[in-house]
Amino acid sequence: MSNAISEIETAGTDETGGLTTSGERAEEIQSEWTDYRLSADPKLSVENLNVYYGDERAIRDVSMDIPENSVTALIGPSGCGKSTFLRSLNRMNDRISSARVEGSVKLDGTEVYGPNTNLVELRKRVGMVFQAPNPFPKPIRDNVAYGPRKHGELNRGLVARLLGRDDSEAERELVERSLKQAALFEEVKDRLDDNALGLSGGQQQRLCIARCLAVDPEVILMDEPASALDPIATAKIEDLIEELAEEYTVVVVTHNMQQAARISDQTAVFLTGGELVEYDDTETIFENPASQRVEDYVTGKFG
Amino acid sequence: MAREAYREALADLRAAVVEMGEIVLARLETALRGLTAGDEELAREVIDGDDEINRRYLAIETDCIDLFALEQPVASDLRFVAASFKITTDLERVGDLATNLGRYTLSSRRQHLPDLDIDAIGERARDLLADALAAYDSEDAPACRVIAHRDDDVDALCQQASERLVRELLERDPKIDAWTLEALIDEIASVLLMIRDLERIGDHAVNVAARTLYVLEGDPELIY
Repeated sequence: MSNAISEIETAGTDETGGLTTSGERAEEIQSEWTDYRLSADPKLSVENLNVYYGDERAIRDVSMDIPENSVTALIGPSGCGKSTFLRSLNRMNDRISSARVEGSVKLDGTEVYGPNTNLVELRKRVGMVFQAPNPFPKPIRDNVAYGPRKHGELNRGLVARLLGRDDSEAERELVERSLKQAALFEEVKDRLDDNALGLSGGQQQRLCIARCLAVDPEVILMDEPASALDPIATAKIEDLIEELAEEYTVVVVTHNMQQAARISDQTAVFLTGGELVEYDDTETIFENPASQRVEDYVTGKFG
Repeated sequence: MAREAYREALADLRAAVVEMGEIVLARLETALRGLTAGDEELAREVIDGDDEINRRYLAIETDCIDLFALEQPVASDLRFVAASFKITTDLERVGDLATNLGRYTLSSRRQHLPDLDIDAIGERARDLLADALAAYDSEDAPACRVIAHRDDDVDALCQQASERLVRELLERDPKIDAWTLEALIDEIASVLLMIRDLERIGDHAVNVAARTLYVLEGDPELIY
C-alpha cells in the first residue's frame, strides 16, 4: 500500500504542476465541486478543518457539508486522513493528546469545537461504530441499555427499585426497539441475558450499532463497519446502513469502493496528505469523476 | 498481476470491438459493391457472413459481462466497457443492414427507376462508420463531434433521394401497363427501404461516435 500512496503523491505533484491536458481540465472542473453545497441546511458543516498530530498535518483545509438523512462515504488510501476526519466530527481526536484541531465543524449550525460543548452530549448526538466489533463483556441486554443508563435516562438497580423508580419496562422496550432497528432482535431475542461475546462477528457489529442507536443519536459515524465481516454479515450491515439513513445521518469510512458505491448517496475522496480531492454524488464519483487523481484512484491506476 | 490482467482485458476488448467493426465495414463494402453491380454473388457473401458478425457480437457481450462481474470497472473504465457494450450492438445492427442491402440486390432489378446515386449515399455512410470506428480506436474526441455533423449530410442526401423518387413517379405516364406498374411498386418499396437503411447506418455511426465521446469526456452531448 505504501507504494500506492507514493504513486498518488507523484500524481498530485503532476497535477498541481498542470502538466497534462486532462489534468488541467480536471482542475477546471474541480473548482465546481469545491463549492459543493447543498440547498437544504446541512446536518454537519465542516469549514477549513485542519488536524495535526504533533507537527504532522493529517487533515488539510477540508470543507464539506454533510446532508441530513443520507449516507456519506469517505474513501481513500490508508493514511489519507479519512478516519481522522470522521473522528473529528464528534471530537474523538480530543482523546489523543498530540492531536490539534483548527477550523470549524458545525452540527445543526452550532460549533462542535466551541468552548461550551458538552462532549458527553455531543457523542450522544453523534454516535460511533468502529471497525472491530467492541461489545462490552456483558449480557446483550446490558450492552444496549448501557448508554441510556449512563445518560441517566433509565433508572435501574437496587436503589431505583427501592425508590420505586425502576424503569425495567422502559428498558425492555428500548432494548427491543434498538435491536430491531439494528436487524438483530430476531436472532437474539431468546438469549438477551447471554454474554454478548458469544455472538458472531456480524451479530456483535449489529449489537454495537444497536448500542449506538439506543441513546437516540442524530448522526452515526462508522469507521469501516464491515471490513472484519464475511459477505453475508457485510450485506446485512449494508442493508442496515441504507435503512438507518431514513432516520439518521450516516457517515461511513470504507476501503471497499464497491461498498461505497452501493450504499452511499455522496462520496468524498481523500488522498494522501489529508486532502479532500473530490466530493460529489456517488454516481458522479464512480462514473465520471472530475479529478484525474480520483479517476486514477478509483480505477486502480496506481502502482 | 491482477491489475495488469485487468488492463489487458480492457485493451483486448477494444481490439475485439475494432476487429468486429472492420469485419462489419468489409461486409458493408461488399454489400454496396453488390448493389452497384447488381452482383448476386457478392450479395450472398454478405448474407452468409452475418453469422460471423453475430458470433463476435455475442462473444464481446460475454467479455463485457465478465468485466462487469469480475472487475467492477468504475469511472472511465466503466464508461469504456459500457460504451463498448453499446457500440457492438450498433455494429451488429449495421451488419444486419448490410444483409438487407444484399437482399435488395437479390430481389430488385432497378430497371424502371431514375438514377438516384444511391452508391454515393452508401459510400458516405460507410466512410462515416469507418471514421467513427477509427475515433473509438484512437480515442479521438474532436473526430467524434465532426462525425455527428457529417451525418446531417447523409440524412439530407437520403431525404433528397426519397423526394426525387416520389416526384419522378408523380410525373410518370398514368397509362402505364399493369406489369410495369407492379414491378415499379416493388422497386419503389425496395429503394425507399434501401435509402432508410443507409440513413440508419449513418445513425449507427453517430452512435459509435457519441458513445466514444462519452467515454473520453464523460459528455453525453451526442447521445440521444
